[in-house]
Amino acid sequence: MDIKFDRIASVLFLTIGVLFIIGSRNLASSSYGSSVGPDIFPSILGALLVLLSIRLFYETFMTRNHHGEKEKLQYKPFLIIFVATLFYILTLETIGYVITTFIFLFVCFQTMERTKWVKSLVISACFSGLVYFSYVQVLKGTLPGWPIWF
Amino acid sequence: MDTLDYLFQGFGTALIWYNIAFAFVGVLIGTAVGVLPGIGPMSGVALLIPVTASITGGLPPEQAATSAIILLAGVYYGAMYGGSTTSILLNTPGESSSVVTTLDGYQMAKKGRAGSALSIAAIGSFVAGIVTLVALILLAKPLSAVALKFGPAEYFSLMLLGLGAVSGLAGKSVTKALIMTICGLLLGTIGIDNVSGIARFTFDVPWLYQGIEFLTIAVGLFALGEVFKTILEKEEDEVHIAKINNLLPSKDEFKESAGPIARGSILGFFVGILPGAGATLASFFSYILEKKISKYPSKFGTGSIAGVAAPESANNAASGGAMIPLLTLGIPGSGTTAILMGALMMYNVQPGPLLFEDHPQVAWGLIASMFIGNIMLLILNLPLVKVFAKIIQTPKQFLIPIIIAISIFGVYAVQVSTYDLLLLLGCGILGYFLNKNDYPIAPIVLGLVLGPMVENNLRRALTISNGDFSVFLTRPISLAFLIITLLWLIIPFLMKRRGKEVIINVEG
Repeated sequence: MDIKFDRIASVLFLTIGVLFIIGSRNLASSSYGSSVGPDIFPSILGALLVLLSIRLFYETFMTRNHHGEKEKLQYKPFLIIFVATLFYILTLETIGYVITTFIFLFVCFQTMERTKWVKSLVISACFSGLVYFSYVQVLKGTLPGWPIWF
Repeated sequence: MDTLDYLFQGFGTALIWYNIAFAFVGVLIGTAVGVLPGIGPMSGVALLIPVTASITGGLPPEQAATSAIILLAGVYYGAMYGGSTTSILLNTPGESSSVVTTLDGYQMAKKGRAGSALSIAAIGSFVAGIVTLVALILLAKPLSAVALKFGPAEYFSLMLLGLGAVSGLAGKSVTKALIMTICGLLLGTIGIDNVSGIARFTFDVPWLYQGIEFLTIAVGLFALGEVFKTILEKEEDEVHIAKINNLLPSKDEFKESAGPIARGSILGFFVGILPGAGATLASFFSYILEKKISKYPSKFGTGSIAGVAAPESANNAASGGAMIPLLTLGIPGSGTTAILMGALMMYNVQPGPLLFEDHPQVAWGLIASMFIGNIMLLILNLPLVKVFAKIIQTPKQFLIPIIIAISIFGVYAVQVSTYDLLLLLGCGILGYFLNKNDYPIAPIVLGLVLGPMVENNLRRALTISNGDFSVFLTRPISLAFLIITLLWLIIPFLMKRRGKEVIINVEG
């Protein structure tokens, strides 16, 4: 358990709670006349969240910090895969499903382990091709298939 | 028409060729999900929703809903069967409800009795599955009849009970679990308000008007969160699978496990009905129970077959029991049933007391298909257990990226929006950090699914009472639900104060 994370989180949750209360107050003016408007539920929840985050903040002082062993995290492959996923998402609609999926899978396979690149090529090609074929041709779904300039 | 007629009609639905195929695919994938340590039943079901949505796209709405829920429920109870395989053979539970099975299962495998442990686990799961189904059939009608008499005030309190129970048992810290529940409920308020038609918290962003899709959140938090965890905390695990010799247990072993299976089924069923207490708790409780009443408690932990039979029956029974509040009351008691409920709602089928009247085909078709699915699982798990044990050797190199690709495909296929994909990725990161710091994730999804219904019932009750909050306290049933909710939250807290160890539900 990381106490620093909990403290930051409790402040964040407190802010979210306050923001929701303020947001619901602005809604109240546009309500339709009944005393039970659209603002009542979110403002109750916001208030509860504020109370709970104060409680969480208080709890972080009650528990002693356990300094557990720091696990070694694999940041490099994670960052590569994260960025690859982000690129995949952002280019999906312009370059199309088949090409982006193929590249994304191949990059990730190789990031996970730099071996078996022929097998990686085959699996990425099969996955992107099969999913596109079965979804668009067989099930008649919509996917951006190929680059828009095609 | 009475229950039996409905059941026969349900079999009529479940025995249509494509529904048999759906049930088969469901339990097959479910077993695989149970075997793979990286994916739990929750992310398995969440990942498959979009896939089933696109496969069933050609069917009329009600049939599509039936087929989809048959497949998804198959994944859910299939995972309970599969989880035992790795617990016994590898000493690594495939999912949290099989943690206890490792205690005795792996010891049995070490002694060369892996075969009998596996088959007893499968037989126990099967018996439990059938027992809970019979109970489900008997209880479904009377329970939904009672629930039909509930007004909005009772419903609101009942839902609070569901949410409170899940939060009370969901993690190490009740505060954190409650915060997660509230966050889920708050996420559910984003979008156009159903009652007044006012856009709330949308900041004039058109994408937010339809609200936040539960599917995106669920897939992101569970599936991607687990994927990121696997990448970041890469473990070099040596896979050492115990050998499976003879599959059939001996007569003595049968005799020894008959009692535990029966007790495990019944206990598991009742634990499963309780909101918040899912398969994990059920397996723990039944193991403890068996150890207590056993003549030789010292044998537990050294390869006692009762220590495999009881928890494996119990977790399967609990997954069946959890369907009861979902189908009859519309209250999911765990993360996975919340996802199942979200899936039904995507098809415009509202689980709850009216389900059995409005959509008997869906309800009874599902129940009948669970019979068929359990038989399939028994057949799949006995002779084919060696094949499934091989699944665990799937290299992570290929598995992890493909899970990401399926998540992205699934969310895009249903939502067709890049914003949802970005939200998915964000939820993945969030899921990893929340999970790492003991913030349970299941309550968020539960809150998101139940949120709009909680709010509608609250507002209906308050409108009837002219804004007077005491309506929840003056109606006896509603008051009873509220008191139970409070007790549920306070008792574990008090027990912790006294220094007692409280078993929590990690599965969610």
